[in-house]
Amino acid sequence: MWQSIYEELKSDNFEIISLAQDAGGEAAAGPIFDAAQVSYTAIIDVNHHISALYNLVNVPSGVWIDEQGKIQRINEGTYAAVHSLGATSFGTDEYVPIVRDWVAKGAESRYVWDLEKVRQSIIQRTPEAERAQPAFRIGTYYFTNGNDAKAEIYWTMAQELDPTDWNYLRQDLQYEEGGSAGPQWRERRNQIESTGGSYYAPLEIEPAPPN
Amino acid sequence: MQRLPGLGLLLGLVTLTGQATAQNATVLYNDRVVTIEQTLPDASDLWVKPADLTRINDFVLKPEGACLDDLCVPVLQDRDSDMYVTRRGQGWFNVTGLADKLQQAHVTDYDDSIWSFGAMPLERRSFLRGGEAPDFALPDRDGNLVRLSDFRGKKVLLLTWASW
Repeated sequence: MWQSIYEELKSDNFEIISLAQDAGGEAAAGPIFDAAQVSYTAIIDVNHHISALYNLVNVPSGVWIDEQGKIQRINEGTYAAVHSLGATSFGTDEYVPIVRDWVAKGAESRYVWDLEKVRQSIIQRTPEAERAQPAFRIGTYYFTNGNDAKAEIYWTMAQELDPTDWNYLRQDLQYEEGGSAGPQWRERRNQIESTGGSYYAPLEIEPAPPN
Repeated sequence: MQRLPGLGLLLGLVTLTGQATAQNATVLYNDRVVTIEQTLPDASDLWVKPADLTRINDFVLKPEGACLDDLCVPVLQDRDSDMYVTRRGQGWFNVTGLADKLQQAHVTDYDDSIWSFGAMPLERRSFLRGGEAPDFALPDRDGNLVRLSDFRGKKVLLLTWASW
């Protein structure tokens, strides 16, 4: 889906860098990139390095970066379109139009945030939560080397150090019964949403996107 | 998935012997995996030769201290300290001690001597306060190193996703 948007916008000094946060590496994420026939920059980020660097806690997440390397939007659950999965649907058709608007108008786009809004939208981590990524990294090192028992210890440690991070939980659940969107995940999601929290940082598209 | 033989197990066989330079270590730093042949055995900290310090995190030990670009952390080298010691003429640098001074998160598996480091808060200021996009260097699917800074002059939409 992003491929067609890339085709449409790439001539206008625009690049998509897509990062698969997959400890399973090429075997896990490669076929999906292949099926989408992507020509934009495709990276398989086995250690979830980008989520650690940009303080992102869920996938998919999007970041807008301008020509000088300044962040203009960050930490949004960003799908290219509404996807239907049986009776449920997820995603939005509103995000792509604002990306188009930004690519065309740059800083003049109404959807570019000011620095204060960018700063507020960056997730802050406690010193304890900062230790989650190095713990996860050890887990992935063991996982890659076939030591699943030790991988589990450090992936669990990462979840305990930063319980707000969905990536660590869901990466781990992928290799357990029920999978990454099974009962355990649903229970956590319900817990958070029933107390007024949200699974994704809410997408703020104001004013309504251009047609 | 293809499974590699248990490297962790192999490392686990190397135990503390009390000899000055017996233990090896594996250091995970950003996306680097650095194998250190010789460390100074210690119950809690990672001590390496100055040349290995640079292999781990690009810091260089100079007379004024451990330096990375404009940043220098003072380190006494004419006598032993909590950052630097000399044993049988060989200098040893405390990597975890440096991380603690820089408030850099780290986690260790002591059984297998695997040391994993997070980002340096100093490097994070321009992101957290200034909204600068942190640079990175990661291989694409063809193995070419991709840096965000390669795309200066373009707008970049960074998208994370996962197969799970």
